[in-house]
Order: sequence, then structure tokens, then C-alpha cells
Amino acid sequence: MTYIGKILPSLLNGAKVTLLLFAITLILSIPLGVLLSWGLRSKVKPLKWILSCYVWLMRGTPLLLQLIFIFYGLPTIGIVFERFTAAAVAFTLNYAAYFAEIFRGGLQAVSQDQREAAAVLGLSRLQAFRFIVWPQVLKIVLPSIGNEVINLIKDSSLVYVLGIGDLLRAGNVATARDVTLLPLLLVGIIYLAMTAILTYIQTKIEQRFSYYE
Amino acid sequence: MKKKLIILFGFLFLIGLSACSNGQRVGTSKEALIVGIDDSFVPMGFQTSAGKLTGFDVAVAQKVGQVIHRKLIFQTIDWSMKETELRNGTIDLIWNGYTKTPERAAKVYFSHPYLRNQQVVVVKKADHITTLKQLQNKTVGVQSGSTGYEDLMQQPQILKNIIRNQTPVQYDNIQNGMLDLKAGRIQGFLIDRVFAEYYLKHDRQQHQYQILVTPYRSENFAVGMRKHDYALQKQIDQALKHLKDTGQLKSLSEQWFGKDITQ
Repeated sequence: MTYIGKILPSLLNGAKVTLLLFAITLILSIPLGVLLSWGLRSKVKPLKWILSCYVWLMRGTPLLLQLIFIFYGLPTIGIVFERFTAAAVAFTLNYAAYFAEIFRGGLQAVSQDQREAAAVLGLSRLQAFRFIVWPQVLKIVLPSIGNEVINLIKDSSLVYVLGIGDLLRAGNVATARDVTLLPLLLVGIIYLAMTAILTYIQTKIEQRFSYYE
Repeated sequence: MKKKLIILFGFLFLIGLSACSNGQRVGTSKEALIVGIDDSFVPMGFQTSAGKLTGFDVAVAQKVGQVIHRKLIFQTIDWSMKETELRNGTIDLIWNGYTKTPERAAKVYFSHPYLRNQQVVVVKKADHITTLKQLQNKTVGVQSGSTGYEDLMQQPQILKNIIRNQTPVQYDNIQNGMLDLKAGRIQGFLIDRVFAEYYLKHDRQQHQYQILVTPYRSENFAVGMRKHDYALQKQIDQALKHLKDTGQLKSLSEQWFGKDITQ
């Protein structure tokens, strides 16, 4: 018990780094994902093509490889990111691609008839989107977004490759130093606690958006 | 219109990101030196439970910093990326039980060696293995990318040819190999002597293990720096010599390893 008290502060410091990266990635990648999803449905062929390539690239290569490329590879052509910035860039670009596909699915699920009906009723395209399409899209995408959000908190452990001291690394350091697996058990419990909170928040949000039922 | 908006947002995003990266000082400053370390590398450089960096190499580096009047910043890195970090200028020194080898010397500059090291095999006493020959047809582990791995491959007659499948099991880090030895899935684990001794000293079941000495060439730990960094190399060599001459290096060695293994 005293040992747990002794290593907990360093683990919680690691958890802070994990949560910071998590928050920054989420705040940047969701809006970017929405924008990308519009682009993916655009009638402008070159734009659609470029964005599809982007999604393919981001979903088609391991996130670990993208992290290594952005932090270690880009300096060879003169682009030098600071460690945490590199991690935030890689995570945002990667997760935005996944969110884009989720929102694209959500937008496609709302039938074209509704947009036409809105136009007949005299709503502008923006109004139709804001009051007819978007509320339905939100409901549709929430469960999938929840999946990605939980993935994100665990994926953040990949930043070890940039030497960033996140929660898992803090546990590894303690394991190496004290020759015991207990710190890793604690790390698992902390991840579970974070996921439990996120799941609770997701349930609350889904309740809040349970209109039309 | 939408397309323009997207392009505009994309640009803003990129500008924002590049703004974040500006103003960050990266490498090759004349003021502070960035020392790249793996903070789980006991007992050379690691974090205490209070989050403070400690270890033999950290202590030596701090003393060298005092001698050459340069501030040292310790940067945690992923060990497999150490030479890339050095080349990119995100660190200035590799200083963490870094063994001087001809392969590495082609990529980095080395200081004079300051510590002697040796490869050893940790075995379980219960397996009744007392010589390397008895590892015949046994499974042996090694840390990937370590000098132990290089030794194993370059001098196959010593160990590689007799172990099971003539192939070692490779681990990312030392603690995983030790866990596997404990679980009995490997019978021998080839590692640096300094690490082997630390692990055995801190493991509650230390009496269950023993260390087999190997005939691989003995090794030297040295500080790595960017190629053509002559001035820095000279400064560090002089500072290390000063610490050695004044007996400070010896007393640190005795404090961390219980004996003088400096050179």
C-alpha cells in the first residue's frame, strides 16, 4: 500500500500527459473530420480525390509509423516539430481521417429526399443542413465517435517512440526500477478509470441527443 | 465556396501548427546541452519514484556539466531512435550506458571510454547451468539492438551455434527478458553486467539466479555526440579526465556499483 502511494504521483503525472494529448487531439480532429467529410462528398472531383487519398494514407499506415515519420523523418527536409507538437499533429491528422469517414457515413444516412423536401419548403441549403440534416447526423455518429474516443486514450501510449513520458511509460519506468509488475497493474486500472468516465459521458450525451424517439 | 472554406481552414491549420513549432529551441545551441537518456535504463539513468532523474551516468553528466560550465537538459528518448535524435539535433549527447562499437563509431563521435562493461548470461540456479556449454539446445534471450545481440551474432562459435534454433529470442527491454527467464520460457538471458547486477540486487528472488561470465570482448561505455563536433568532444574528454584524476569518477562508481569499474 505504501508502495502504491509512492509511485502513484509519477503515474498520475504520466496520466496528465496522456489526457492533455487526448484533449488536444479530440478538439482539433473532430472539427477537421467534419470539414473533411464535406469534402469527401463534394462534387468537385479533384478535391474529393485528394481527400480520399488522404484518408487512405492515414488509415492505411500504422499510427506508430506516422509518429516516427513526422518527428524523425520530417527534419531531414527541414521541418522540425517539438516533441509534443509532433505527437499532436500526428494524432490529429490520423484521427481526423477516421472521424471524416464516420461523419461521411452519418451524412449519407440522411436521405436525399429530406434535403429536397427542405428545399421545397423554402429552406436554404445552410438552413436545411443546420435544422434537418445535422441533428440526425449527430445521433447517428455518436456511438462510432465514442468508439474512436476510447481508442484514442489507449493509442496515446504510442508516444513512447518520441520519448514522451505518458502514463504507460511512467509505469514501465517504475517496473524497470523496482523490479515488480505492480506499476503496470496500476497503469491498467488508471486506463480503465479514464475509459469508465468517458463511457459515462458518452451515455449522457447520447441521452441528451435522444430526440425523435 | 465550400471548397474555398476548406482550403482556407487547411492553411490556417498548417500556419497554426508551424507557429507552435517556432520558438522551440532545437539542438546545437551554444548554451545548454541536451542529453538523450532512456529513463528506464537502470542503474545508468532512471527516474526515482519522486520523478527525479538519477543514476550513475546522470551523476557523471552533471559533474561534467559543472566542469565545462554548460547547463545540461536531460531529454527522455526512445533508445532505438538515439542516433536519429542526435542527427536531427533534438539531442546533443547520447549518454546512457552507450557502448563504443566500430559500427556506431561510423555514425557518431565517441568520448574516451569511462566505464568497463561485459556481457553476461543470467540463468536460474534451479536449471543447474554453470557453464556456457550447458546452454546447448536451450532457449536464450537478448535485448534487441544491444551490444549483447551484436556479440552473439558476430562471434557465433561462443553461444549462437549451440542454442536452440541458433536464434535468440529478442526483447524490447531488459525487464521483459527477466520476466521471461522467471517464467521459464528462456533458460538464459544475455545482458550487460551492470544491468544484470542491478536486477539481481533488487529482485526479491535474487538467490534463485546466477551470472555466467562470457568470453565476449569486454566493452566500454562512452558518450556519443554528433560527428565533427570536435570542440564538444575535446571539452567532454577533458572534463572526464579531470573527474578521473580527482577520484570523483571512482567514488561514483563505488557508490553505484559497489566497486571501481571506471577506466
